[in-house]
Amino acid sequence: MGRRATLTLAVLVLAAVGLLPLAGMLGRSLVVEGRLSLASYEGLLASGRQWTLVRHSFALAAWTTILATAAGLPLGILLGRTDLPLRHVFVLLFSIPLAAPPYVTAVSWLAILGRQGLLATSLGPAVAGWTATQFFGLPGCALVLVATFLPIPMLLAMVHSRTVNPRLEEAGRLVTGWTEVLRRITVPLILPGVLLAATLVFLLSLGEFGVPMYLRYDVFPVESFTQFSAFLNFGAATAAAAPLAVVTFVLLGLEWGLLRREIRHIQPRPEGEAPPQIALGKARRPVFCAVTALGVLLVVLPFAALFIQSASPGVYLEALTRAADSLLRSLTYAALGASLLVLLGGLLGYLIHTRALPFWRGADLMTLLLFAMPGSVLGIGLVSLWNRPGTSFIYATPVIILLGYLAQYTALTSRITVGALAQIPAAMEEAAQVAGAGWWRRMVWIVAPLARQGLMAAWLVAFIFCLRDLGISMLVYPPGRDTLPVRTFTLMANSPAHLIAALCVILIAATLVPLGLLGMIWKRSGGFRGSA
Amino acid sequence: MLAAAACRSSRPATVVAYVSEDQVFSEPILKDFEKQTGIAVKAVFDTEEAKSTGVMNRLLAEKGNPQADVYWANEPVRAELLKQQGLSSPYRSPNAEGIPATFQDPDGHWTGFSARARVLIVNKGLAAKPDSILAYTDPRWKGKGVIANLLFGTTTAATAALFTTWGDERTKAFLEAMKKNGVKISTSNGESADLVASGEFGFALADSDDAVSRTRQGKPVEMVYPDQQEGGVGSFIVPNAVVLIKGGPNPESARRLIDYLLSKETERKLAFADCAQIPLHAGVETPPDLKRIENLKTMPVNYAEVARKMQEIQPFLKTWVGY
Amino acid sequence: MVDFSLAVEKGERLTILGHSGCGKTTVLRLLAGFVAPDAGTIVLHGERVSAEGKILKDPEERNLGMVFQDLALWPHLTVSSNLEFGLRARGVPRREREERVRGMLQLVQMEDRARARPAELSGGEQQRVALARALVLEPLALLMDEPLSSLNLELNLRLRREIVRLQEELGFTLLYVTHSREEAFEIGTRVLVMEQGRVERIGSAAEIRAGIKELRN
Repeated sequence: MGRRATLTLAVLVLAAVGLLPLAGMLGRSLVVEGRLSLASYEGLLASGRQWTLVRHSFALAAWTTILATAAGLPLGILLGRTDLPLRHVFVLLFSIPLAAPPYVTAVSWLAILGRQGLLATSLGPAVAGWTATQFFGLPGCALVLVATFLPIPMLLAMVHSRTVNPRLEEAGRLVTGWTEVLRRITVPLILPGVLLAATLVFLLSLGEFGVPMYLRYDVFPVESFTQFSAFLNFGAATAAAAPLAVVTFVLLGLEWGLLRREIRHIQPRPEGEAPPQIALGKARRPVFCAVTALGVLLVVLPFAALFIQSASPGVYLEALTRAADSLLRSLTYAALGASLLVLLGGLLGYLIHTRALPFWRGADLMTLLLFAMPGSVLGIGLVSLWNRPGTSFIYATPVIILLGYLAQYTALTSRITVGALAQIPAAMEEAAQVAGAGWWRRMVWIVAPLARQGLMAAWLVAFIFCLRDLGISMLVYPPGRDTLPVRTFTLMANSPAHLIAALCVILIAATLVPLGLLGMIWKRSGGFRGSA
Repeated sequence: MLAAAACRSSRPATVVAYVSEDQVFSEPILKDFEKQTGIAVKAVFDTEEAKSTGVMNRLLAEKGNPQADVYWANEPVRAELLKQQGLSSPYRSPNAEGIPATFQDPDGHWTGFSARARVLIVNKGLAAKPDSILAYTDPRWKGKGVIANLLFGTTTAATAALFTTWGDERTKAFLEAMKKNGVKISTSNGESADLVASGEFGFALADSDDAVSRTRQGKPVEMVYPDQQEGGVGSFIVPNAVVLIKGGPNPESARRLIDYLLSKETERKLAFADCAQIPLHAGVETPPDLKRIENLKTMPVNYAEVARKMQEIQPFLKTWVGY
Repeated sequence: MVDFSLAVEKGERLTILGHSGCGKTTVLRLLAGFVAPDAGTIVLHGERVSAEGKILKDPEERNLGMVFQDLALWPHLTVSSNLEFGLRARGVPRREREERVRGMLQLVQMEDRARARPAELSGGEQQRVALARALVLEPLALLMDEPLSSLNLELNLRLRREIVRLQEELGFTLLYVTHSREEAFEIGTRVLVMEQGRVERIGSAAEIRAGIKELRN
């Protein structure tokens, strides 16, 4: 199978896995009481409240994106490029909130900022009253979501800043200090990666409803949720997701416009050469203190409560007996899902990067659109599509969960692949081509090994997202074969707090232990480069 | 033919159960069923607390090719909805005998068991203790009351029940007055209970299991059965309800599971579990902090009517909540 | 590129001389099959391989060798693996592969660096490996795109002579693109002068050199 056939197949696979169920839902939203109608959409625009919701949603998504990127970008560079002490510990520390369900993070924060929280007992009711009011609103929502999504720009900045060609930075170092070089050379060079991180954070925070609902800040996705949960109205629920689709179109348009002028040939860091480490010098201590303070504020403070709660004897044993099988399944599904996502996203990323087929833009749009859709819409779509007597080998088995992951998360791996491919000179593949290598041979022996750092990062990110997925897996998991987040979530109702806390700690460990192991491999191989 | 039949019978029997009752409480019951009968239970759990869009939506989406055998609803209104949508089959379990007729579908599509009651959870620090839902409209408790979102779960059902008991006009006036008196909306009954326990609010109308679990955890709250006085409207009772799904893959095992759930033994277990649910069979042993159903003034309702009313008032509730 | 027609003889050394941006690299990319000509055809060994905006034969099937401007040595493979890659792709059996790789490395005096990775080599060594990687496949023709432009003068001079020596020894057709007159005249038996996508002049090295001198006088 040649290049054209393979890439077309990859697009068709994603269309079948993701677009088809979505189209089914769209169809439902256009039929009201047996007739073709736009009523579901008109209902959306009718009440003035929708505009408030849209405004709230945008405010939350914008603040989250700005703050998470503003903090994550320098943090990623600090952790990826400088001699800051305890870098690896910090990477894991800041990644914790992404591994936990955001709802849990919100609950942990309440223990501090609530009227009865830690602050109230230490600083008095006046302060606590103020923090509680702030917490239940935009600032509180933004705080929780920034902590949750900060790892995305942080990790992407880390990976990208290590691939910048040192010559370009050294050229700058001759005339100015590191701060200026980073600001004017390194950061602009990794701009596509930063933009990708910002886009992902924006879409994720726009689609998040658990936290705003808990903190009583009304946002748009609540509408879709309400239509599902209270009214069991699939059509209206899908219609309510339409603004998310519109936002995706707009974002993508903006991004294409921004990056069009930015097409340049990045000369990547030569293989075998470690990225130069920036010595912080006198700034080392204050920077370390600042990073520690941020870590304490965003992670240690809220999660300490979780750890303390779970630190009662025997609770982990109980949690494991209740959830060991789910944990094992979760790890298996997530590993399989991440691998499939890297394969499919890798092919689509290659298509988008090389523009090998005329519909590459369509493929890009499709992945991001699916990423922005609420998991519940995709989930119900998948159920309706695959729950047929002939396809029980899909619906009655974990295959359906993997399809769900592919439908929702391909944008992550395709976009990270695009970033990785941009670092590889086109001549690498061309040289293989004139040497007589067919497309698959070139992919397997030249392109994939050269992009391995990016592909590893893609796998890790996909693994985290599959592991923490709730929206889709909740709706499609085969009876009796749930995942750990699903079980944690369903057990959350009226279970003892220490059990829930222990389950959350297990969930976080399940995400971070593989991350830490891979980080060690990374370190040993000199940042995925050096000797292969 | 013979070979096929043999093959089928040699496979271990299973039953697929979709469960809306909290997993902490329902899972042990299902495990006991497995142990006792050897029938493997494959379950899909849901949680009303965190309001996932799980089980009900899934049942509806799977209508064309049902995967579930049994639906264990945590309140009868959803069971009634399934009946209306044609997703359920009638089944009269022998164990349903002794459960009051109010708590059963007249056509046998669902049967109620182990019930929760709608109760007031009151913070012990509150000076005046409310004993009626009318406290929500009483200026004495202005800004002190919290209630879960009226669009979801048992709160919707309880509101619909008020509509069927008081009539539209009186209930709507009550709800408007409630708003004027500064009621706050929480996302769930459990959260209402926590907000009262933490002192953010003085009292909340929630489910008895929410109240019992907080008192057993030693939180500074107490449970008050509302409107028990002469002429009071009574406490709304929310039984669990079990439904046989039409066209499910394992109808035989399904009936056995339903029989098991409706047994006095299950009711006793659910009474002693932390959900502290009130048995509907007479003469089942209960823990001391639980009132027996016969000693309780209950709101006289017809659940089918409540379900119909619920759908009817949803647009009103949506406006009321501000959605 | 406009009105460009060129016929290359088997076994000759043709250099294409021009300023940067005159389209000389595009000529190589057209021949290699990375881009298709908007109009016109490209014929290799009597076979039409590209025509009217279409690539009829993919680069991997053209049996050409190419040395890229920045060499494009695969950094994750050793020197011998770089050479072996194309042979493997063409299904050459293992024993023969090893023999040919060894022979070719000997020819470019790199046999003692077979296990090194490109990053560990000096500029001149990298150059030799790139040349060897292209030649080990015994291509119909070798396309070289300014391969010596980044080397110091001494190395540049040495490698020019080596390229000529190798071509005379092995007899392959060479298309060599450069902006340096000295390189063009020293390497090419025939020289093509390009300007703004056009053939400005073509002739034997001696003719073109004479022409340029004339122009100066």
